This record gives sequence, C-alpha cells and structure tokens, in this order.
Amino acid sequence: MPVIKDAVCSLCGSLCDDITVTVEDNKITKIENACILGHSKFVGMFEHDRIETPMIRKDGELVPVSYEEAIGAAAKILVNSRRTLSYGWCSTSCEAISKAIQLAEETGSLIDSTANVCHGPSALAAQEKGAPGASLGVIKNRADVIVFWGCNPVHAHPRHMSRYSSFSKGLFSTKGRKGRKMVVIDVRKTDTAKLADRYVEIEQGSDLLLITALRSAVNGHEDVIPQTVAGVSKEEVLELAETLKNAQFSCVFFGMGVTQSRSKYKNGDGVSSLISDLNQHSKAVMIGMRGHYNVTGFGQVATWETGFPMAIDFARGFPYYNPGETGANDVLVREEADAAIISAADAGAHFPQKAVRHLAKIPVIQIDPYANPTTELADVVIPAAVVGIEAEGTAYRMDAIPLRMKKLIDTEFKTDEQIAKDLIAKVRELKGGA
Amino acid sequence: MQAVKLSLKKANKIPIEADTVSPDNFAGKTKEEIEAILAWYGNGQCPLGDFFTVEVEGSDSTENTKIVFDGDVSRVKRIGQGMSAGEIEINGNVDMHCGFGMKGGKITINGDADSWLGCEMKGGEIILNGNASYYVGSGYRGESCGMRGGKITVNGNAKDYLGEHMCGGEILVTGNVGLLPAISNNGGTIVIEGNATMPASEMKNGTVIIKGEVSDMLPSYKEDGTEEVEGVTYRKFVGDVNASGKGVLLVK
Amino acid sequence: MSEILIKNANLCDPIQGINCENMDICIRDGKIVESVSENAEIIDAGGRLTMAGGFDGHTHSAGKINVGRFINPNDARRKLVPGLSGPEKRTEKTRAQVGYNTPNTYAIGYRYAKLGYTTICEAAIPMLAARHTHEEFKEIPILDKMGLSLFGSNWQVMEYIRDKEPEKLAAYVAWGLKASRGYGVKIVNAGGGEAWGWGKNVNGLYDPVPNFDVTPAEILMGLVEANEKLQLPHSVHVHCNNLGKPGNYETTIETMKMFEKVKPTVDRQSLHVTHVQFNAYAGTSWRDFETGAPMVSDYLNSANHLTFDLGQVIFGPAVTMTADGPVEYANSRLLHEKWSNQDIELEDASGVVPLSYSPKSFINAVQWAIGLELALLVEDPWKIMFTTDSPNGGSFVNYPEAFTYLMSAKKREQVISGFGQMALDRMVLPGIDRELSFYELAIMTRSMQSKMYSRPEKGNLKVGSDADIAIYDIIPGDIDPSVEHEKVKQAFSGAAYTLKDGKVVVKDGQIEATPMGRTYWVNAKVPADIDSAMQKDTDIKFKKYYTVSKSNYMVEDSYLPNPVEISTEGVF
Ligand code: SF4
Ligand SMILES: [Zn+2]
Repeated sequence: MPVIKDAVCSLCGSLCDDITVTVEDNKITKIENACILGHSKFVGMFEHDRIETPMIRKDGELVPVSYEEAIGAAAKILVNSRRTLSYGWCSTSCEAISKAIQLAEETGSLIDSTANVCHGPSALAAQEKGAPGASLGVIKNRADVIVFWGCNPVHAHPRHMSRYSSFSKGLFSTKGRKGRKMVVIDVRKTDTAKLADRYVEIEQGSDLLLITALRSAVNGHEDVIPQTVAGVSKEEVLELAETLKNAQFSCVFFGMGVTQSRSKYKNGDGVSSLISDLNQHSKAVMIGMRGHYNVTGFGQVATWETGFPMAIDFARGFPYYNPGETGANDVLVREEADAAIISAADAGAHFPQKAVRHLAKIPVIQIDPYANPTTELADVVIPAAVVGIEAEGTAYRMDAIPLRMKKLIDTEFKTDEQIAKDLIAKVRELKGGA
Repeated sequence: MQAVKLSLKKANKIPIEADTVSPDNFAGKTKEEIEAILAWYGNGQCPLGDFFTVEVEGSDSTENTKIVFDGDVSRVKRIGQGMSAGEIEINGNVDMHCGFGMKGGKITINGDADSWLGCEMKGGEIILNGNASYYVGSGYRGESCGMRGGKITVNGNAKDYLGEHMCGGEILVTGNVGLLPAISNNGGTIVIEGNATMPASEMKNGTVIIKGEVSDMLPSYKEDGTEEVEGVTYRKFVGDVNASGKGVLLVK
Repeated sequence: MSEILIKNANLCDPIQGINCENMDICIRDGKIVESVSENAEIIDAGGRLTMAGGFDGHTHSAGKINVGRFINPNDARRKLVPGLSGPEKRTEKTRAQVGYNTPNTYAIGYRYAKLGYTTICEAAIPMLAARHTHEEFKEIPILDKMGLSLFGSNWQVMEYIRDKEPEKLAAYVAWGLKASRGYGVKIVNAGGGEAWGWGKNVNGLYDPVPNFDVTPAEILMGLVEANEKLQLPHSVHVHCNNLGKPGNYETTIETMKMFEKVKPTVDRQSLHVTHVQFNAYAGTSWRDFETGAPMVSDYLNSANHLTFDLGQVIFGPAVTMTADGPVEYANSRLLHEKWSNQDIELEDASGVVPLSYSPKSFINAVQWAIGLELALLVEDPWKIMFTTDSPNGGSFVNYPEAFTYLMSAKKREQVISGFGQMALDRMVLPGIDRELSFYELAIMTRSMQSKMYSRPEKGNLKVGSDADIAIYDIIPGDIDPSVEHEKVKQAFSGAAYTLKDGKVVVKDGQIEATPMGRTYWVNAKVPADIDSAMQKDTDIKFKKYYTVSKSNYMVEDSYLPNPVEISTEGVF
C-alpha cells in the first residue's frame, strides 16, 4: 500500500507541501494533514463531475470523440480565428502554462489568467510601486504583527494561519500566537476577524482612504488626518500606525477585499507605499493572498516568457500588454474575441453577463478535468488529468516559492501540457498545409 | 491643403489598429497609396482600403493635411498616434489610444473617446466633444511619466485615473470625473469644472483645480489658505505630504 | 559525425597565446580537433577576428530578473539598442522577444548569442527558490548556463561558523549546491541579509550579525574554508559589504586582503570580487563622493590571489537587482523609485529597484568612470572580467558600446566631454590613455573565465575544447579601434558567425538555430559520517523553521534537461 509523503496540495495558494496520501488500487484512500478544502480536492476528485471523454458539439449536442478528433477540431478553430482568447491556466502546472503561452504566440492569440478577476490589480500595483515581500517562512519566524486586510484565511486558506502566520512558531517567534498581534481590516466581521486582537471595520470601498491616513500617520503628518476616515476614528488610525511602527517585523496580507474594491490596484499601490514608509521605522513586508493554487505560477511563467504577467496580446507577433484593453474580460465585454480556449476556469461564474453571452456566440474550446457551466458553452471539450494528483508539475506558492507537485495516481487522461503540445503540433500541421 | 476623408465601410468588432493613420503618414499620398497602407486587424494586417472608403482632395505637407473620419470609429484604435502636425477630425465615437504620444497638430472628436485618450502626449491639442473613458492623458503601464505637454479638452465627463503620472501639459474637463484624477502626477495643470473623487493622490508637482464637489478628499493634504484664480477664490491644499509633494490642489 | 573547417580565421586566443594570427580551425562533433576530413563543411572567415565564445561570468539573467520584468512592463518596449532590444515578432526560428534591461528568456539567449557569447553564469540563486532559476534556464536558448547559490546570510552556515564546525559547514555547502544545482558559492553582503530580516544592515567586516554572534569577516573566512575543502571549481564569489556607499573602497580592500592567506585547493584564484565599481567609492558622503578606483587598483596590482569583475555603468535606464536587501531599500528611498523585496526564510534577502544613470549626474558620471578606471589601471587583464553586472550597471546588450570605451581613448573623451567640472574633479579617467587590444579584450570576455570557473573547455579554442566560436566582422590588421570605434561596436553587436558546440547559431547577426544549452552544476563528495551529522541539523531546520518539506527542497532532475554534473572530491 503506497504511502506518499510530502505531497503538495494543489488547491489554494498556500500550497501546503506536507500532505500524506495513501493510495490503494490507484485510488486515494487516505489523506493526512490537509485542511477540509484540500481534503475535498484529493478525494472529491472522484465525486465531482469529471469529463469522461473528449467531445465535440454536433447539431447542438456534445458527442464523444477521440482525443485526436477533438484536438483536430480545436486546432481548426484556432487557425481560422483572427482573435482568440485563451483564458484560465491557473489551476495547472507551469509546464502546461508554458505550452499554452507558446500556443498563443503561434496563433497570434491573447492569453490571460484568472488574475483578471482576482489579483490582477496587485500586478498593476507592483508596476507602480514594486512589491516588497518575503517568503512565508520569514513571517513564521519573525513577524510580531500580522495584518489581514480584505481577506479571510479561515475560509479561503485554512492552514495559512497555522503554517505560516498567526499561530506558527519559529526561531524568533517561539510563543506563536501569544507573541503576536493580529489585526484584521475588513468591511465585515469575518471569522478571521473574530480571532484578531484588533478588528478595524472600514466602510466599503474606502481602503485607499485608510491606507493614505496610515501613511500620513507613519510619516509624521497627523495634522492632515480628519477626525474620521474610512469610517475609522483618527484615534484608531493613530493607534494602528503606532502598532505597525513599533513592530519588530510586520506583514500585511491582503486579499481580494483590497484588490477588487473601489480604486482597485491603487489600493495595492498604496499598501506598497505604506510598507516602504514603515521600513523607515521597522521591518515590514506585504504578501497577496492568492486564491487559485498556481495563479502566481502563471504570472511567473508568463513574465519570463513574454515580459508580462497576464493579459498578453500576441496579435502582432510580439507580446503586448495592457490590462483594460487586453484582459480577458475586456475583449469579451467588447465582443472582440472570435474564439476562446478556456482552461480549468469557470468563465460562467467569474465574468459579467455580457461577457458570458458573448462566449456563447463564439466557438469555445474547453480544457478541464471537470464539467462546469463553461462545458455548456463549449464546442470542443478536452478532458485533462488533475494536476497535483494525476500529473506532476511545478506550482508557485503565493510568496513565489516554486514547488514540485507529485503525481499520486495513474490516469488515462492527457495532461494539460500534452494537450497544449498536441494543439501546437496540429496547428502547425494545418498552417503548413494551408 | 490636403483633405482625406475616411468612411468606415462596415462596422467592426475586432478593433482596427490605426497607428498608421496620421497626417504624417498621409501627407502627399494619393487615394490609392493611402488605401494600400496596412493596418493591424486581429492577428493579421489588411490595407486601409479594405475597411474605409478613402477620398483625397489635394496633396500637401503634413501641416496642411486634414483627415476626417466620417461617422463612428468606436473600434478604430490609435488614430493619430505620434502625429506631429496637421489635423484629424472624428465625427463619431473613437476607440482607445487616440492621439497616443502625439507631438503636435490637432485632433477634434465629435463623439465619445475610449480609454487612453492622449496617453503620453507631448504636444498639440485634443478637443473631445463628448465623454472620455479611463486614463485620459496618462502613461503606459509601469511608466513614471504620462502626458508631458499639449492640451486635452474634454467637453463632457471622464472616468477614472485622469492624468495619471502627468508630467506636463494641460487637461480641462468641463464635466465630472471619476476616481483618482491626477494620481501620481508630477507637473502640468488639470482643471475639472465638475465633481471629482479622491483627487491628486501622491501628487508631487503640478496644479489641480476642482470647481465642483470633491468626494473623499484624501487625508494627505495640508490646507494652506486660499488662492484666487480668474476671480474665483479656492481653498488651497498642498501635498501629497506622503510624496513630499509640492503640488497645489485648489477646491471650492 | 559532423565536421566544419573554419578557414582563414584571424584567431585571438589568449589561453594559447595566439594574438590575431591567421589559421584554420577544425571542428568535429562540437569539439575542436586537429584536422577534419575533406567532407567537412567550410566556413570562410575571410581573415576576420575570431575568438572563443564569450562567457559572461556574472549576470542576472534567470530568477530575480523576473521581478524586474514584472515591475517594469515599460521596459519591454524600450528599443534603445537597435537589433538587440525592444519587441520583435516571432519567426520560423525564434520566439517572440521583448525588453532591454529585462528581456524575456528567449531574447536573453538570442541576444547574447548575437554578441558572440555562448556561456553565462547567473549570479544569485536563492536556494529555496532554485527551481525558479532552472525553470528560466530551460527557456534560455543556445547558451550554456550555471548559477551561484547564496550562502552569505544562511542560518545553518552562520551557526556552523559560530560553533566552529568547519566540516559540517563544508558538508552543508555541498548539500546546498546539490539541492539548488548550483555551481559555486555566492556571498552577498555577508550577514547583511540576516540583519535586513530586522530592517537593519551590517556596517562592515567586524559588525556582528544580530542574534548569530558572527561577523561578516568570519562568514567570509568560514565559507572560503568550506569552498576549498570541497575543491570547488570556482572560488567564493563575493559581493562586498557596504556596497554603494561612499568610502566603501576601504572595506573592499580589507576584504581582498583577508583572502591573501587562503590557499586555494584548485588551480585558480581564491577569491572573486564582483562588480567592484559599486565598491570602489571614496569620500565620506554623496557630497564629497569621488573615485576610489586608484586605491583599489593599486592593491589589485600588488595582489595575485584574486579576480574581479567591473560592474561597468552604461548611461540610460537600468535595473538594480541584488540579494543585498538593505541597499535596494536605500536606493528606492533615495531615488523615489519602485521597490521590490523578497526575503528568503533562513537564507538571504533580495531587492529590485529600477533607476537611470545620467551623464548629467556627477555621481553617475563618476560611477561610469570608476568601472573604466579599474579596467585600465589594473595592469593584468587576467585578473579582470568584463561585466556590467547586467542589468545593474546596464543591460548586457551594451557590451559592444562598452568595449569601445576600453579600446578607444577618443571614444572616452567624447563621453567625458559631456560631464560637468564637478564630475571631472572626482575621477582620474581623463588622465588615462591606455587602450586595450583585441587580445586583452578577449582575455576579459572569455579567456580568464576559463580559469576562473575551472572550465578548461571554455574560453579557448585548443584541441579538445568546445567549439563555441565567435567570428566578428573585423579584419584586425586593417582597423584602428582607437579611431574606428564605431566599426568595432558594429562588429561586436552582431557576430558574423556564432557557433555553439560546432553548430552555426548566428550568421550575419541573425539567429540561425536555437539548440538547448547545458546546465553545469557541482556535486561535491563529502564523507558519509560528516554528511549524516550535518543532515541531522538540517532536518531540525526544516522541521522547525522552513515552510517547505526537506524532500521538496531539492531541485529534481527534470528541471535540468541537459545537465553536466561536475564532481569534486572534498578533502576532509
Ligand atoms: S490551506 Fe490550501 S493548500 Fe493547504 S491544505 Fe488547505 S486547501 Fe490545501
Ligand atoms: Zn550581480
């Protein structure tokens, strides 16, 4: 009975790498160390609605076909398209992402990740101010003040606090939670907030006002702060600023509450500036709480292969980048895309109505282990192995630390990487023949 | 004088990238020559003649060339990119990046403009008789200097991030603007006759005048008496203190 | 069997002592051989300058450079050097390219090859993130690659030094190199990375590292002992303390002196000091800042135990990226620039800050001069590696421009004429008339690297060496580089031919083929008992302090598609 140790959980951006998995008869029968979310990914694989076979839509119905036929049909769509959108690629390996980028390059497509609907603004923020961060173990060993801003790890990253942040213990943080101040800033009292030493409730969409006020306080300009800002009293702002300034080491973990609220990336931009200002007094860093387990990996691979982390348009043969113009949502809402590949992402759930309606009108290729509302829209459906369980590969944790995901069980399904390679080969063949 | 009239033959969804459409590139060219100029359309290039009916009257230098778009070109990007002289008139809505990096001449738009109008503009004039979208007169992603010179007039409203990273020149908006106008600017003048939200965040230098209502004034400005401009008295704020800024923000 | 005969090459191969002599070069199966058959493919070099492929022994081209790309999307569109920067469409043979200081991986491979370079050494691998470096290596075409792993603020290293356990330290270094597939030991601002964990720095060689009770000097001496115990092919590679601070030349010379007593166990230097330009500053503040190059050069002329590289500045935009976290933070505050930081648990720090060097700034002008002063005042070119610490001092695509600074006093005068008096008063460059020859340039750009990295098959065209060859469009006898510097620049900007392992990869400045290069890494053997004693300590580190499992720390074979394992035998 093989027992696999130190497997990587490929569910959330925490990418816990201490999972013990027992496999019997090519089935996972026991999971140790994973949280409830991770557990459900490992075992849920057999419960979810797996796509069992490649399919092509014929006369309105999806009918089973061979991989070869599906790849052929997909390649034909790509070759005939003037503006393909390739979207998703955040719940797969870096090796697959690399091939997906090459496919986009060879077909003059536009490729974007799910960051388009979650942490994309943090990239824009970094492009304004940089990203002063640290690996998670630095927080574990050093941080005495931890701020969760607009994120709720209790539910979204269940083991984050025990492995990396609030409750973790390290060389200089031997007392764990007792030696730390935990601050939560949010618009409502989340379960994470309930665990905090200090909860600061802010008005919806006013993050930048509070960030700016904190900066003014940290930089010695108390006088410009009004009596209340962002629904928070000046007194509380000053106290919070003092807590941060007097820390030995503070870390601000920020989530979609920050990146997706009004003034979007300018919030992340502001946090980055706040961190820089704080370092005049004490050590401070920031880390984005990435959701999809390899959304960070997409950003990394895309950046070294194209120069840009997301929203890359290859229409002119070289990469062009301009979120707001070249983002997945942008070209769908504007009805520009005339074909789409969607990999391991539920476009139906993430995009506005108008974008989804447009998807319904154009040929859609889905590459995914699981059926989801995108399947309903798809013209070609290509099932894939589940990366991190049925296929190995690289993923980047939220702090940009790369880890190798293991293959735990065998499968008949092709990997995303292989599917992308097959598509490249077929596209070349069709173009060569034309 | 050379007059070139372009009429879109058929409305398009995939944008036409018209960075080749400028007086600099059209001056002295015949109808046939202009029709043959290539423009990107999705992942391929097509001659302008495929998209537009082209009429040309006269032949002249760049300064004396005027291009008129007859009707809506809301899916034609980059019109007038980098132009140095002459004139463009657009009688309808226009797509993104109109007047990107323009150095001189004049663009008049009788319609709405999509985002990045006059992005990284260095000189010349843009008059928009309609509403503008995001990032009027801003810079490209990651760049620290946006608009550097020239003037943009928006006779209408503008959305967020107007004049982001502006380093010089002038922007006038007669209507309201969205979030964070004049963010991270480092020079130039912005006048907003209507309302604005969170203006002049991290301004280092420059002048911003807001004649309408300001919502959510950022807590990083020092009030410093009043200042009179053209007979109107404004409250004067100086900042952004967190950027050690010397910018002047005048509000009613 | 594939054979090539390069006829009529004007060979400049300092390792063989050949100084621009016309001869034929025979290649079989990627190696230089005595002779080839009549069937050999013939390349007529036409008397043009021929050298071994260039070897950039200190460049930031994989790993941290990605942060530079990420925060500067505006760099992608910069076209400052024609043919070697900016966006370029994909072609049948090449992937799409972008960038100037921070090109994408493909552009890095193509553009180095166009310059006639065939080997690079990434200057900093953070071990915990080593997979990332190797993932980028995989996507850098053509070039052979190696990387240096960071040890200078590592907890286990500092503890072993504090506790006087040199054998376990050596075992740990061996293990770290294996885990990260590194080629050598990099030390950046020894101890400073740990101090930066608390937002602090160390202020010199004898300032103890907070909580670890060791000094930078002890870290340096401890690591060099381990390095030599393991008989590593490269010496320790040191980024000195106090980088970027006026007055730091004293620390630099002190550091160099400390290594005089070290006996290398391999026939090479016992110390390489990197980007000395940033560490050769005199004065006490930016106000009275001036060149420290004459003092440093004097010392270097008297010493024979070390090599160094320049870190030459190129005017225009650059991106600084270093494991020296506190320096980057200081840069960003001073220059009001973007700031990225990445501290790595138990190991080191790092930062990335873009900036621009202007000839109008007296500080930048003096920095520019210091690099050249070092190159011209140090007599023996075998001690000097040419670098810009790309892209810290400027992008490597400017190497041809920089070569003309070295080869032409007239060219230097042209640049210097744009400086203000204040800058001129703080430098000695205007008084230097030395002009380097092609022979000396070849030493600094390929030959000295062969010895410095113990890669006898690189940096020369002896029989048996790798057939990595650059042919430049210059007839050495017909050109006066002092006057015709523009021609020199042109020729070095796009090789007439670059061969990699006997395959033509560049022809007339254009990419012809893109084979996958090798990755060199070092496997140093350590006695089993010492290794297992060390592993016990490592186990504790992983159990208590790291956030990844030990088994997931080691870079797997699959990340090195074309590995070359260099085995060494530790002497314990
Ligand atoms: S915290 Fe995230 S990565 Fe860790 S086990 Fe839970 S779901 Fe998996
Ligand atoms: Zn370096």
